[in-house]
Amino acid sequence: MSLSDDELFILSYYRTSEINGSLFFGRLARALKPGPIQHDLTKHFADEAQHAWYWSSCIDRLGGRPIKLDSGYQDQYLEAVGLPLNLMEVLAITLVFEQRVIHQYSRHLALPDLDPDIANTFGLIMEDEKWHLHWVRQALVGMEDQFGKEHIKATLDRNRAADREIYAKTLAEYDERLSFLFDKHEKGR
Amino acid sequence: MSVTVEDVRLRIAELLRVSEERVTLATVLTDLVVESFRLVEMAIELQEEYDVLLGQADLSVLKTVGDLAQLVQSRVVPS
Repeated sequence: MSLSDDELFILSYYRTSEINGSLFFGRLARALKPGPIQHDLTKHFADEAQHAWYWSSCIDRLGGRPIKLDSGYQDQYLEAVGLPLNLMEVLAITLVFEQRVIHQYSRHLALPDLDPDIANTFGLIMEDEKWHLHWVRQALVGMEDQFGKEHIKATLDRNRAADREIYAKTLAEYDERLSFLFDKHEKGR
Repeated sequence: MSVTVEDVRLRIAELLRVSEERVTLATVLTDLVVESFRLVEMAIELQEEYDVLLGQADLSVLKTVGDLAQLVQSRVVPS
């Protein structure tokens, strides 16, 4: 296997998060009434499932088997900010989460001597993630009349604060496993 | 639309695929699911069906099935 144990772990972690996102958004897409949000959320969850497949395939090609992990990054959000109860709150947490995903994937992609297969996988996924950010932002703008621009901003700010806390906690928890990703100057940013 | 607390209680049981007997008004919501995301999905579905709005500001009063059913019922606009 050309993957180190730590690389296998982090790719499995990414895969698990994509699966969890897909399952959750898929269920939401099923629950929503027809309209632009149901439409875009359907593509969103399909993309996340595809991303899980990309990671599965990548790990397979590099001679590994995905590690089964019980929880992903998203589970920690609920504990930190409380359950989102309406669609605006779900989209707010989604926007913050997707921004974190792009941040993390970008940092990983910037590693020197990154396996080309892993780099290609990031490339495929990041294209979709840009569209995810775009449609969720647009949907939140569309909700300003109903929820108020300031209330949406406050919800996003609360989620961002929680995300910074969770990210720092995750890095600390997996310090040894993730140390290959970050040099000592970057850790905790 | 005329909606009773009992209507909402039964709908919660259906959405969570749990027997009606298990979903009493005193049942704690988090006891009914393994994953918290399932409660989010259920809350969204109730809002779509009954055309009401819930929010995180309501979380402090939402512990049991009865709390949720009463809150949803109180926000339904009679047709």
